[in-house]
Amino acid sequence: MRKTVTDTTLDTAMTQARSKTLPWKRIGLFAAGMLALLIIPILIGNQFVSHIFVTIFIFAGLSTAWNIVGGYAGQLSLGHAIFYGIGAYAGIILMNLGISPWLGMFVGAAVSMVVAVAISYPCFRLRGPFFSLATIAFLEVFRVLALHFRELTGGATGLMIPLKFGWEWMVFRDRTPGLLIAFGMLMVALGVAWWIRSHRLGFYLVATRERESAAQAAGVSTVKVRLIAVAASAALTAMIGTFHAMYLTFIDPSSVFSLTTSIQIAMFALIGGIGTIFGPLVGALFLVPLSELARGWLGAQALGLHGFVYGIVLVLVVLFMPNGIVGLTGRFFNGKNDEKKAQAAPIAAAARASRPPIGNDILVVDHLDKHFGGLHVTRDVSLTLKEGEILGLIGPNGAGKTTVFNMISGFLKPSSGTVKVRAADGSMMMPVTPGDFAAIGVGRTFQIVQPFAAMTVEENIMVGAFHRHSDVREAREVARETAHRMGLGHYLDAEARGLTIGGLKRLEVARVMAMKPRILLLDEVMAGINQADVRRAIDLMLSIRDTGVSIIAIEHVMQAVMSLSDRVIVLSSGQIIAEGKTQDVVRDKQVIEAYLGKDFVHAEA
Amino acid sequence: METFLQVLVSGLMLGALFAIVSVGLTLIFGIVKVVNFAHGEFLMLGMYLVYLFTTKLGIHPLLTSVIVAPLLFVAGVATQRFIIQPLMSARDDHIQIFATVGLSTALINLALLLFGADIANTPASGLRTPITIGPVRVLLGQLVILAVSIMLVIGLQAFLKRTQTGRAIRAVAQNRAAAQLMGINVNRIYMLTFGIGAACVGLAASMVAPLYPTSPNIGTYFVLTAFVVVVLGGLGSLTGAFAGAMIIGLIDSFAGFYIGSDVREVVVFGMFLLILILKPSGLFSNRLSLSHVSP
Repeated sequence: MRKTVTDTTLDTAMTQARSKTLPWKRIGLFAAGMLALLIIPILIGNQFVSHIFVTIFIFAGLSTAWNIVGGYAGQLSLGHAIFYGIGAYAGIILMNLGISPWLGMFVGAAVSMVVAVAISYPCFRLRGPFFSLATIAFLEVFRVLALHFRELTGGATGLMIPLKFGWEWMVFRDRTPGLLIAFGMLMVALGVAWWIRSHRLGFYLVATRERESAAQAAGVSTVKVRLIAVAASAALTAMIGTFHAMYLTFIDPSSVFSLTTSIQIAMFALIGGIGTIFGPLVGALFLVPLSELARGWLGAQALGLHGFVYGIVLVLVVLFMPNGIVGLTGRFFNGKNDEKKAQAAPIAAAARASRPPIGNDILVVDHLDKHFGGLHVTRDVSLTLKEGEILGLIGPNGAGKTTVFNMISGFLKPSSGTVKVRAADGSMMMPVTPGDFAAIGVGRTFQIVQPFAAMTVEENIMVGAFHRHSDVREAREVARETAHRMGLGHYLDAEARGLTIGGLKRLEVARVMAMKPRILLLDEVMAGINQADVRRAIDLMLSIRDTGVSIIAIEHVMQAVMSLSDRVIVLSSGQIIAEGKTQDVVRDKQVIEAYLGKDFVHAEA
Repeated sequence: METFLQVLVSGLMLGALFAIVSVGLTLIFGIVKVVNFAHGEFLMLGMYLVYLFTTKLGIHPLLTSVIVAPLLFVAGVATQRFIIQPLMSARDDHIQIFATVGLSTALINLALLLFGADIANTPASGLRTPITIGPVRVLLGQLVILAVSIMLVIGLQAFLKRTQTGRAIRAVAQNRAAAQLMGINVNRIYMLTFGIGAACVGLAASMVAPLYPTSPNIGTYFVLTAFVVVVLGGLGSLTGAFAGAMIIGLIDSFAGFYIGSDVREVVVFGMFLLILILKPSGLFSNRLSLSHVSP
């Protein structure tokens, strides 16, 4: 299996380095590097060199902005030229009305944000290439409309900026101010990207990219975080677009609303390292001079040669360097980490507190029916969970256990019936979406594990921890503590995709535990972990219960069912066939029949 | 009334053109599940080959399909083998998208390098002869495109339904892993499918070249419309692609005439977006399971 994105490992390495020993050295190094980028072209003072640097800053900025959506959120937009174009047109149209581009820039950003949200909202349910195709279609629509509304945009003839010079008009005879502004914009884009990536929003975006349903279960409002990302990205893109228009002094629909520009913006990020903070900058630093020089040298020799080389390089990079330049260096630096991977530590034996008494109803399920077309998956399922209780949910394969879970966590809408949950303040609520359920304190695991594959174990658990702690440092603390409790302490920096199935099951539980839920829905968490750990896991569950958490557990490991459950409900063919004390239920004739068939019951009798 | 009929027939002829270009794309998109942005460039390459064979060797454009289609088959197989297959296991689709975008850029510029930016006109060889049927006028070449596209759809449909290889292709499209377990060489099927998809474009090229001037950018003109057609018809559905192409041809033609030729693309792409968002399985499919939409 080829890895495609290792962004998070690198960023983690960086955040850790920051938080541990040498933050100042790193910041200093970064500042020196950036300053050199600015000073070199000023010192050289050559027109062509300045132009290359301005182009680098602009495309690095655009690409950094794109990366917030395309990299962090994983929505491969090929329509970002829309926002670039809106910014460019807003700037020049307003300038013609005598309004400074410094203001026009914000008008363009505002319009772009509205447009971005409006076109992204319906497109988010489209996966992978279909999202890209939709963004391309929108781009084409914008291009054609820009050509059509001539009074506003000048149509195919394009728009020229009025000849007004000076800082207030963002247009200069001299190259240096342009360099400064482009550099400033790049810094703003990098700043925003860094802020997002290193705060809760960034974690939420990557989690949503990796596994949308698991993110929802962790209480992430997946649509909202992506819309925020899209809006921020569009605003930045538009502002840079305004400046670029002033720099170019002339725009027309086919050059600004162009698919080629969109692809280029995305490509810099890809080649530099998609999803990393500095990848887009590195990509632009590497490719812009290459392409400008190639255009100069090869372009003079033969028309199309430089584009040909460009295309081939892109294919080769994708084939042999899918993580980009930053990915290469990241692998180099992180390579050693994997060696010190220890064996899985046992799940920490839990200190047991005294058990609080079983309280009032906390989850009430009434007459749940679910059918897919003519297939009835559950019929008339009613159950109640009391505070501090562990309720076992058992039944043969295909009985509808997981379907019930999906309905009491918001992932499936029941055909009829209600789910009520007692909120922390004591009132009964009827949550609907996974977000509602998470907010009210219902946490769940998935039978088929849903790790955020490209994130480290620590980051996976942090996504859960963010539910209660918005601060990164606090969330990290909670995540570490939970990881140690679940025996994942040695794996903190390992990518989730490298864990064994047992490890992934633990991670699943750790993530939901970090949410500190009041009601815990566990879907076959014992399956696939070894015998010794089952015993420890049972102790862990009991200790969780003792802290006042109410639990419903779907389980096939009978040892666990027997020793954990206060009550058991048996589901077969979508109906509840038995309910009561564990010992009684396992002797129930109907239950034995459901599991082992009629013949077995007769043989026993 | 006469104008209406003429617009209608022009729309159908345009539809046939879109159909013959889209049939190959729906195979590649629907079965190999790769968004091939270089599809239009395959058409462009095919058209240049037709141009070379007709002008240098004096072969009739329609006859060139015997050579051009196999050549593009090879190009398609090579693309699948050396560019797409190594990326099949990649976790993200975007990697494949970028690979085909890179290929497309390289091919456009290769054409620019070899043939220059000037338009290459393939001799019409009688295909531009107008034929008048009652009040409407069409070109002989357009009727050929219509006939060939219908035959192509019927032929491919029979191939997929009746032959063992065809069944294997459909099995791979349904479930790659299960097909592999049944002893189907999935990589070979993908290469074959990509090859057939590209060969279809080769066939299309020999019909299209005599009617349309060839330029390095001709592919981009067709490829977006082809994607619209494929999504409209439902991924991998040949008859769907044909029907979708006719609909888009008619919309294009009527919107161009009655609304304005400069905004007809807005209507086409607007339609595309509506379908994509509201009925992503395509107009003619009522399948419940959709591979490209989150549940």
